[in-house]
Amino acid sequence: MVTEAISPEFLSKLEARGVSRRSFMKLCGSLAVAAGLSELAAPRVARAIEDSVIGAESGGLYPAIWIEGASCTGCTESFAQVDAPDPATVVLEMVSLNYCETLSAAAGWSMEEAKAQTIEAGNYILIYEGAVLEGWNGEALRVANEPGTDHLVHAAENANAVVALGSCAVNGGWMGANPNSAGALGVQQYLKKQGIDTPVINIPGCPANPEWLEAVLVDAILVGKLPELTADNKPKVIFNQTIHDNCERRGHFENGEFVYAFGTEEEAKGYCLYPMGCRGPQTKANCGVVRWNHRRSWCVASGGPCIGCCTANPNDPGENWVETNTPFRARFRDLRIGGLVVQPEAIAWTLTGVVAAALVIHGFGMKKMGRTDGGADFEPIREWDKKHPNESIGQYDEEVLKGGK
Amino acid sequence: MARSVIDPVTRIEGHLRVEMEVENGVVSDAWVSGGCFRGMELVVKDRTPEDAAHIVQRICGVCPVSHSHAATIAAEKAYGITISNNARIIRNLIEGAQFLHSHILWFYTLAALDYVNPLNALKANVGSAYDLVEAAGTSCQSDLKALQERLAKFAENGQLSIFSGNWWKNGQSDTEFKLPAELDLIATAHYIEALTMQSKASEVCGLLGGKMPHVMTIVPGGTSFVPTEEKLDDLWSLVHELRDWIKATIIPDTKAIAPYYKEALSFGKGCGRYVAWGVFERPSFALADRYLPSGVIDENLNLSEVDVDLIKEYIGHSWYVGDSDLNPREGITEPEFTEYYKAGTLREENGHEIGDINDRYSWSKAPSYDGKCMEAGPFSRVLAAYLRGNEFIKPAVDGLCADLGLTIPQLQSTLGRVAARNIEPIYIAECMVEWVDELIEAVKGGDSEYFRTPETITGEGTGLWEAPRGALLHTEKVNNGKITDYQIIIPTTWNIAPRNAEGVQGPLEQALIGTPVADVDMPINALRTVHSFDPCTACAVHVTEPSTGKHFETVTSPWGVK
Amino acid sequence: MAHLAHYREAHPLPMRITHWINLSCMVLLILSGFLIHFPFWAALTGVARGLHVFCGIVLLVNCIVRYVLAFLVTSAPTGGTRNRIRDYKTWMPQDDNKHQLIPWIKYYLFMKKDHPLSAKLGVPQKISYFAIGILILIMAYTGFCLWIPTSEWTFFAAGTAFVGGAMSMRIIHYFMMFVFIIFTMLHGYLVFIEGTANANLMFFGKEHGGLVYDPNRHVIVGEDHSVDQH
Repeated sequence: MVTEAISPEFLSKLEARGVSRRSFMKLCGSLAVAAGLSELAAPRVARAIEDSVIGAESGGLYPAIWIEGASCTGCTESFAQVDAPDPATVVLEMVSLNYCETLSAAAGWSMEEAKAQTIEAGNYILIYEGAVLEGWNGEALRVANEPGTDHLVHAAENANAVVALGSCAVNGGWMGANPNSAGALGVQQYLKKQGIDTPVINIPGCPANPEWLEAVLVDAILVGKLPELTADNKPKVIFNQTIHDNCERRGHFENGEFVYAFGTEEEAKGYCLYPMGCRGPQTKANCGVVRWNHRRSWCVASGGPCIGCCTANPNDPGENWVETNTPFRARFRDLRIGGLVVQPEAIAWTLTGVVAAALVIHGFGMKKMGRTDGGADFEPIREWDKKHPNESIGQYDEEVLKGGK
Repeated sequence: MARSVIDPVTRIEGHLRVEMEVENGVVSDAWVSGGCFRGMELVVKDRTPEDAAHIVQRICGVCPVSHSHAATIAAEKAYGITISNNARIIRNLIEGAQFLHSHILWFYTLAALDYVNPLNALKANVGSAYDLVEAAGTSCQSDLKALQERLAKFAENGQLSIFSGNWWKNGQSDTEFKLPAELDLIATAHYIEALTMQSKASEVCGLLGGKMPHVMTIVPGGTSFVPTEEKLDDLWSLVHELRDWIKATIIPDTKAIAPYYKEALSFGKGCGRYVAWGVFERPSFALADRYLPSGVIDENLNLSEVDVDLIKEYIGHSWYVGDSDLNPREGITEPEFTEYYKAGTLREENGHEIGDINDRYSWSKAPSYDGKCMEAGPFSRVLAAYLRGNEFIKPAVDGLCADLGLTIPQLQSTLGRVAARNIEPIYIAECMVEWVDELIEAVKGGDSEYFRTPETITGEGTGLWEAPRGALLHTEKVNNGKITDYQIIIPTTWNIAPRNAEGVQGPLEQALIGTPVADVDMPINALRTVHSFDPCTACAVHVTEPSTGKHFETVTSPWGVK
Repeated sequence: MAHLAHYREAHPLPMRITHWINLSCMVLLILSGFLIHFPFWAALTGVARGLHVFCGIVLLVNCIVRYVLAFLVTSAPTGGTRNRIRDYKTWMPQDDNKHQLIPWIKYYLFMKKDHPLSAKLGVPQKISYFAIGILILIMAYTGFCLWIPTSEWTFFAAGTAFVGGAMSMRIIHYFMMFVFIIFTMLHGYLVFIEGTANANLMFFGKEHGGLVYDPNRHVIVGEDHSVDQH
């Protein structure tokens, strides 16, 4: 791959003679045709001369780098399911996806070279999927013999914007859940720690709905601006309403028609899944509107109560969707007190029970003391007054002070 | 002697490094390193098995259904539940759709670019390409002329996008991409068609499971999906469309491409021993009776039944403390990173920094069955089904071998692995067509049971299942509805295992040895071999919960991890 | 009789009305709250949601009104007298309460035989009644943080973010309800354990004879049974 090391020098010589980059590329094309190759060979010829693996540095496509951090590839997979526009259109006609671990034809050195060249050329968007892992100084994630965190820093520094794609990229996702053994956190928080101020757009979801990514890409590439964001840097149009607000089963919620057990007739009727622990009322995303897999269905439509996978506070890995929402079937999350994992209901009812029991016992005591019928007799004189006759509050009659009635 | 490194290995799931010693143009030794530690088993501890079935899917975005399924089976074993017939069929359908999705995606999107050069398609004569379509007996839904124009426009723009840094060496004489331009054009058309078809397969998962990746309706006790007439109707047509495309396309493409890469039949064998736990339940719920049955296959291709007690995981060459070799149900491991290269051995070679590889060099552990490393994957499953005389797989494998002029043992190679696994999606698609009819019949007959509530919520269970890329094991202990111990052995862990206690290389490492490498910077045959195993490394790296004491210092508050 | 007389001046009509409102709102809020938490009576869940918000707002307003009334209305500073002072003063530390916290606790722990002398409100009562007002305000705040129409207001959204999201806010709101439940249990217990005289006065304005107290001298000065109905 290391064919010629003269490229920058060579280019500057050309430029000194008034030959621009673009016309040089054209020239390469004509040369290739003249040599009997098809025009497609132009990028190759260019590479041979200037050691470029990404082809032209400028062109009609917006350069993009897609890095997988500690990911399951689910967000890439999710992106592969989109149909309008489909992934082929996106990577052939919208963005020049110069680095994508799942789709790139390249591998190894030339792959990293493609990334390095894209970063050097600048003016690209970085899509980061998966969590940032700080564990073992970032070695919990190793790519090209470097900690994953270094890859993020290098690529983010020079990017126009970073899209933190999926709940893991937003705040560590499930990896941030107790005990967070790999030291997961989100892109925004990590970049802030490193003092990198490239704007971050957070698109939570496990996985992120591909339509959300495309909406952001269209804004960034075609409209040329970043979408309007919430305080959490999430695109406002997508994440400013709850699942519940736009749920197709909302009518049944309002009517008090619920599914109380899986596999029942109520499910066939499409009743509301609220009693099954649905997190729709507190999860902000428009899943019910964009739906999934070619708008074929979405969680609630298939009988799966929302598990709140879009819950992600970019500034706190602990507030991730797993920690916030498990057990999914219960209405509340579990609380962890030391080694004890317990539902809030259990704590509340136990406490109430203890107080009630104490009162009952106390009541028996009161009865035994004969206080239940009007209470005990009043003290004729306050204890304190008795001990401090000179500072006494009450102005008692002599006989009271003497102890009589 | 030269070092050849592929890092990152692309077009796989997760992070993988392959490092090889090349002598006289052939790989003489190899080290495969899983690159990421995430700690899944620790996360599901103290949560419910129902939660786990949702959470563990997030190990892998390509095969989430299988993880959900294996977790659910483990929970059902612990609870003592046998699921209803309808739930069985629906879950088979979700799993089947994921297999189709994964196989189409793997062959056309991930592996194909090791054999196909889309930029070469520009040179194709479109008329001849159509002739070739007919001659190969494959399908073609695309307008090849329009596609070629589209590619031309792309090439003219000059930015290479996902083809940046490719290894095709367009127009150079030492290119190892050998398809004629017309076949490149057809395969490129299928590359793009396949993107649509894999998403249609996912649509089935979406329909029955809410969304894909990460389905929602496979729950311990059965399924939360309840079919309606409308949903059954959609299901029927989707499954038929998929079956028709797969049947008309995958094997003809395989047969058209294979003859140009016959040398790939001579390397990539691996350890020659195979495991499959089996997948797709029949009403008997027996491993050996599954639509794709279980089997442990030895060097002489003799099949025996599965014994879970014979599985062990060795950690002496992985980034964990100690060198134990234990059954996953007793595993005690604590992650601890040590350097990949030995200190003081770093040197520059061919413009890249390399060194001597440390004793511990991977986040992946080394599983063994009866003391030996094993290969898992579609190839293992196809072999198991073949050896058990499966009525579809056996004639299909025999037919493929006849067409390619091979014997069964000769299939044990990089190309053989690729070709044989392509039989699987056709079988699964045919099964799915059957299952849909079966489900419709059952619903018509008034069977409306989809979910069974557990009577006990304490116990132990192991879910043996298959992901598209091989044998998958989830095992858990549950106490009063909360998981106390959870372990996973994932297919790719079998395949990308580092050396074992005796220093014997793992299956993929063995498969790489002997692979010809002409260009150490672009070792395409090695990449073909790696891809033939369809690695899924995010799955492969995980940690078992230390059963004694906590090894992680985290500050917890009732509100969670801070 | 061993207790101070219960005169209407201790709980004048406006206080009895706000107490009724408090009681009914809290009961309805708790019931509807449980229904919202889990729809065990499906048909009523819609009503419950509306009622919950309505009662919550009424309780909040009532709480504020009660605070204001404390400055406008006069009431008896102790039982056993018809003298009246500004109501808020009866919430403040009074001479009649001085040094009485420990005796109160000792009394309820059966370490003291006689009923402590006190003002209208005992020391633990004063503390808890003051706390309940603040509790109502917190409850209203957490409620508005969860109620969709107000949850996005910066004032409420900031609180939700501070506690770690809507789930944590819901748990806090839920726990606070139990604080109310426990308060009500204690309150009811202490009122009723020594007879119904207190309740009759608060609910129905029914007076009850007993010892007469001189709020100027802070001592019992006699007995009055003229108000008893036999």
